Amino acid sequence: MGFLLQLDGVAHDIEILARRPHLRLRLNGRDYEVTAPGSEGDGAQQIEIGGRSHGFVRADLGDRQVLRMAGRTFEATLRDPRDATGAGGAELDCVRAPMPCSVVEVHKRAGEAVARGEALVTVESMKLQIALLAPRDGRLARAPEGAGETFEKDAVVVELEPRDGV
Amino acid sequence: MRRIASLISAHSAEFRANAAHNRRLVGEFRRKQEEARNQRPQRDLDRLARQGKMGARERIEKLLDPGTPFLELSSLAANMAYGGASPSASTIVGVGIVSGREVIIRADDPTIKGGAWYPLTVKKIVRALDIALDNHLPVVHLCDSAGGFLQMQSELFPDRYMAGRIFRNQSLLSKLGVKQLALVFGQCTAGGAYIPALSDYNVIVRGTGAVFLGGPPLVRAATGEEVTVEELGGADMHTTVSGVCDYAAASEDEAILIGREIVAQWSRPRKWDCQCEPVEAPAYDPEELYGILPSDPRKQFDMREIIARIVDGSRFHEYQPSYGSTLVCGFANIWGYKVGLIANNGVLFNDSSLKGGHFIELCNQNATPLVFLQNITGYMVGREYERRGITKDGAKMIMAQSCARVPKFTVMCNGSFGAGNYGMCGRAFDARLLFSWPNHQIGVMGGDQAANTLVEVKINQMRRNGEPIDARATQAVFEQTKAAYQEQLSAYYATSELWDDGIIDPLDTRNALGVAISASLNAPLGEPGYGVFRF
Amino acid sequence: MSAPRPLPFRKVLIANRGEIACRILRTLRGSGLASVAIHHAVEAGSPHARMADEAIEVFGDTPVAAHLDGDEIIAAALRVGADAIHPGYGFLSENARFAAAVEKAGLAFIGPDARTIALMGDKISARDFARAQGLPVAPSITPSRNGDAFLAQAATLGFPLIIKAAAGGGGKGMSVVRTPAQLREAARIAASEAQRYFGDGRIYAETYVERPRHIEVQIAGDGEGDALHLHERECSVQRRFQKIIEEAPAPNLDPGLRADICAAAVRLAAAARYRNLGTVEFILGADGRFFFLEMNTRLQVEHPVTEEITGLDLVRLQLEIVAGFGLGDVARPAPRRGHAIECRICAEDPERDFLPETGTLAVLQAPCAPYLRFENALRRGQTITSDFDPLLAKLVVHGADRDEAIDRAVAALGELALLGVKTNIDYLACLINHPAFRAGDLHTGFINQHAAELGPPAPDEATTDAAAIAAALGFRGFRNAIFDVPEPYASIGGWRN
Repeated sequence: MGFLLQLDGVAHDIEILARRPHLRLRLNGRDYEVTAPGSEGDGAQQIEIGGRSHGFVRADLGDRQVLRMAGRTFEATLRDPRDATGAGGAELDCVRAPMPCSVVEVHKRAGEAVARGEALVTVESMKLQIALLAPRDGRLARAPEGAGETFEKDAVVVELEPRDGV
Repeated sequence: MRRIASLISAHSAEFRANAAHNRRLVGEFRRKQEEARNQRPQRDLDRLARQGKMGARERIEKLLDPGTPFLELSSLAANMAYGGASPSASTIVGVGIVSGREVIIRADDPTIKGGAWYPLTVKKIVRALDIALDNHLPVVHLCDSAGGFLQMQSELFPDRYMAGRIFRNQSLLSKLGVKQLALVFGQCTAGGAYIPALSDYNVIVRGTGAVFLGGPPLVRAATGEEVTVEELGGADMHTTVSGVCDYAAASEDEAILIGREIVAQWSRPRKWDCQCEPVEAPAYDPEELYGILPSDPRKQFDMREIIARIVDGSRFHEYQPSYGSTLVCGFANIWGYKVGLIANNGVLFNDSSLKGGHFIELCNQNATPLVFLQNITGYMVGREYERRGITKDGAKMIMAQSCARVPKFTVMCNGSFGAGNYGMCGRAFDARLLFSWPNHQIGVMGGDQAANTLVEVKINQMRRNGEPIDARATQAVFEQTKAAYQEQLSAYYATSELWDDGIIDPLDTRNALGVAISASLNAPLGEPGYGVFRF
Repeated sequence: MSAPRPLPFRKVLIANRGEIACRILRTLRGSGLASVAIHHAVEAGSPHARMADEAIEVFGDTPVAAHLDGDEIIAAALRVGADAIHPGYGFLSENARFAAAVEKAGLAFIGPDARTIALMGDKISARDFARAQGLPVAPSITPSRNGDAFLAQAATLGFPLIIKAAAGGGGKGMSVVRTPAQLREAARIAASEAQRYFGDGRIYAETYVERPRHIEVQIAGDGEGDALHLHERECSVQRRFQKIIEEAPAPNLDPGLRADICAAAVRLAAAARYRNLGTVEFILGADGRFFFLEMNTRLQVEHPVTEEITGLDLVRLQLEIVAGFGLGDVARPAPRRGHAIECRICAEDPERDFLPETGTLAVLQAPCAPYLRFENALRRGQTITSDFDPLLAKLVVHGADRDEAIDRAVAALGELALLGVKTNIDYLACLINHPAFRAGDLHTGFINQHAAELGPPAPDEATTDAAAIAAALGFRGFRNAIFDVPEPYASIGGWRN
């Protein structure tokens, strides 16, 4: 499957066509032959594409690259293809009890907006307290009323409203 | 190594006639292959679309690394069976690269009766796993099958090399440390459920994938319990409760991406050190192969011309060039790998049989894989040759070849008849991969010869019964026998029965061997040693 | 040329940071003087601290506050046995109390005396003094706390007028008022800003010159009444009263006018018995009338362009003046050769209204040439925070003439790579390359006037594609997908049988 590169906010589709005798790529439907691919990492580099040599300077910031080429600065990220497939989906709508437990404190109520990682409910089991966190941003559809409510293992404790457009 | 000096003229009338003939044969092959791969009833394609599923080939293309080759095996399996109801035997098998690792891929084709397994389907799957075992190739299963084709259960269930062999092979693969990944795209029912269960890793698509030993109808019939597919064996249950499945995917695309990520975790196997040199394309145009193969299968041609259009730089170091001239033996490189080639230029005599046996020993000594290019009608017969011991000389060649510790590969170029098939590493002799060309014919003897023999038997019978013998009846028997025989001689019949690992265009031979040799290096070399040579 | 006379200092403390501290350090080193740097904890490993012979940590509620703690700085200087303090620009450089305290502590202050600093620091008193010396001064009204009287008087100036903070400078507490209706609100805001930034809510108003050019003259005085000028600089290209591009000499300036302006500056400096280096700033209208704006009693950010055309080391000159060598070594008129341009490189995002940017400097690649100076205190891996001013560096180029200087500047900006934090480098290149800039059609509203054309043009498809490919090849996942495929598969390619 192809790669999706975001360059200054614009998406570019990149496909690998061939590797020998030279790397050939298809970028947004245009084919290019890369005769000198340069190396990874920071610093000044040369890349040769279609017979033309382009000098550039790269800063590798891990999940993004900053490039200076032809007197312009570009910022690029490579999209994780799994993000495009609607990965996660429905499984992120429910927060289940990790073991039989009872509610100690409800931090967020039904109808409230929550952020990913935010503590929703604290439950207790076997003298151990666990905070159940929001798996994603969203709004709570269902939450326990208050302390004392009990849940079986894997029972749904908190439910988020389905995400739009996913 | 010196370049082979070709004596072929590409402009001669014979060359052009051959080329036209062979292009026609290849054209026919491509048409049949295209039909088997892609022609499906529209309602099956619609059903797939409605279920939100991809076709098997689309899944494979997404699974493979971009810009890499895929060597598909036995694309025309079952083409002459079941009235054509099971194109490619309802399953796709091939060797390719996933996340930089060499794997063998096996995919059910859900557009053919829901991917149900015919007897030849089972045979093809078992063969795929045998290839995995022989070559220590990791396996990726793309599961989407309704299970065994019930109407033919007696031909796919009970015997030693039938369905059970699939799971036995899976278990032994795992014991060898060869990894397996299963991507569950559809329902894996009954035996089919064992494929993901016996795989080291598996991924299941939510909504369409399911794994259960018995589906809802069976459960209802057996115990009266009412249960939905999702509840009984769906993704969420198996990935959170039972642990039968490892990863749940929201879509087929995601399942494939997860699969690629899993394969990316696999350590790369250590291949044994096959002698390798820089690659060189053949010096002669491979398309000339079409002009070299005679349009009349009984006509002889020089195998060196074939070799010159397959091996690196057309360079060939011939062994014993002046002795045993009906067998061409020598070293060459294919995609950089040094191989020992053994090819037929006529029937096998004493000297050529001895030469073949000796050369096989040299290749075993040198850890050089063997490539057999078959065009053999048999061993020389007759009093003189029997007195010289042709039978034991042929036996010595078979002994050397059978006990070879290096990987062997066979390409059936034109004909493979009788005992000649054996010495030249026919199917029974465990070539890692064995391919046929579309013009190839295989049988215990040639069509005419067989028909003549059978006619003679028939005439003797008629004579014993006191029946009148007339030329017209004789001719009729001859024609009938030959026709029936001819059908079973063709490469299409052989490939249909899975007597080979696929028909290939002669032009694809070089690439197919390159992939095959590379894949074979994952398994260690065998133990050296031979049985008793009858000297 | 004879060797420079030895200076009577042993050790100089630089009460500053960043690029100017490094700049001063270079001259100290070249003069054989020991150097002491001060730094807050957040800049512990920074280049100026590491370049100096000694580095002392200073403390404060904020990093800026630490640099403003004059008493602590003087105490530190005494502790390490420094003889002099160079205040750089900004921070305490125009703090009369600090200057006085330094001298009272027995240290030399590399700059004017406290009296002159105070005189010129108060913008009203400075204007009055200038007027008294016969310098043209824009009609204005005396400062006051905001009130109806001020508003009435301001209105008599006519419009447009500009309201400024009496105790201010550096562009803060200023606003241009074009119509009477805007006056009251503008005055209120200006007064409140003046109070907030300078602790003194007095404002004054003066006639606003349309399309004014900001021309300033570098002067030097020996403190005894002798003064000379080292030519003028043009600093008209400004954004929100912050200079972005400065050059020397000023382009398209009538020689007679140039002479008048420079002479006026010298007259002021001499009359003030100015000691050390300073800059007299003027506003020049399109009609050729010029007015005194203010005098900065410090070494300015843009001093390198003067150095480039005169060949002088101004920091060295400062030290020599403090040493009592007078101005004898400087030719009058000072040499003037070619043209120099300075671009201020700031951590700002031009596409988000120049909001200050933070980040980590992953890559630092500056061009190198004999006609080029890249004044900076940057090092790879440095974290750019919002603790200090967003000025990261100055790119100074010299050319035989203005066109050559512009060409060289454009080329240098193209080669300059500061990656990991957003900067205005591409914006500067657009500015310098603009036809109006090349024509020298400069005024302080230049950026506003040409705002629409100053965004970098969208790159062509070939460049974008090349950048996309180059970027993609920097990602590990993409590289693996290409290079991780074994042979013979990589060579066979996308074959199907």
